Amino acid sequence: MLKELFLGGKKEMEVIDKMKKHMGFLCLACTTLKAAIENRDKELISSVSDLEREGDIVRRDIFSSIYEGAFLPFLRPNICRFVEIVDNALDVTKDAAIEYTDLELDEETKDDCARIADISAKMCEMLLAAIETLSGRADLREKSLAIRIYEKRVDEIEFDLIKRLRTKEIKNFWEGKALSDFIRDLTSISDLIEDASDYLQIINISLR
Amino acid sequence: MKVEEIMNKKIEYIEPEATVYDAIEKMVDKRIRSLLVNPKDEQDVHGLITVRDIVFKIINKNLNPRKIKVGEITSKPLVCVAKDMPIEHVMALMEKFNIARVIVYEEKKVYGVVSLFDVMSGSLIEKAREGHSA
Repeated sequence: MLKELFLGGKKEMEVIDKMKKHMGFLCLACTTLKAAIENRDKELISSVSDLEREGDIVRRDIFSSIYEGAFLPFLRPNICRFVEIVDNALDVTKDAAIEYTDLELDEETKDDCARIADISAKMCEMLLAAIETLSGRADLREKSLAIRIYEKRVDEIEFDLIKRLRTKEIKNFWEGKALSDFIRDLTSISDLIEDASDYLQIINISLR
Repeated sequence: MKVEEIMNKKIEYIEPEATVYDAIEKMVDKRIRSLLVNPKDEQDVHGLITVRDIVFKIINKNLNPRKIKVGEITSKPLVCVAKDMPIEHVMALMEKFNIARVIVYEEKKVYGVVSLFDVMSGSLIEKAREGHSA
């Protein structure tokens, strides 16, 4: 089987382990962001920034390993793109966390934002499970579908949240901008996870 | 998987005295397929009006939705579940009563709604999680 031939090597397995580690940081960052929003605990924000920095280190390490010879050349661009998207998701998670520092959300908005962060964390866990299936024989389609279902839920919450927020009075420009940027970044996490899942599907198909 | 994980907290209410046309407008505006009908008085209980009720009881019978009150076609009593109930029980209830929605109650208050589509999505997510900690 091609999969075993392309993924069975020591270098390839090392890269997959690093990809899992990278994803693990994203999972943890989303869970931390959720806890920060849910408990209005702004001290957790610095942990999200730390996780993003750790993620950057692993990303560089993955790229080095790939260009030192892991995987056949035709697979490398898609693997690198996947890692870049996961890294972008870590960046926007950190941005959302920093923007949250200066925000005072009302109860309803806080609940919606915590739900979005919670769903994003579940999507990360599903994507992590999907990476694990890459080196096995299990079908990736089920995981990909679950990620799309989660993303649709985030879209629904976002739609209602934005509709409601537009009716609220904003007292000054910067307060409105911070809130708008926070919602944009918070909802981008799930978009990026969905994109990453699509790339994983492409990688999986290339291995058939 | 528990009900709480798949339920939708987006619930819209309507008064029983409102017309069915008001209900249709609300459903279209809010992009939802059901409305919870408030009790008429303290002795009354919540009811539910769905797109299915409107299509079968009003439109299919060529009745005028502007002349019929929501209370006249409301389904009562509601089939309710607790938020920690497994979705397998919800599926069984839906099949038994031939309904597409159940209401989630907590401490005598409406907490959310679970539709057939939510149950299907939840089951697919559960299947995808099998063998993983996600």
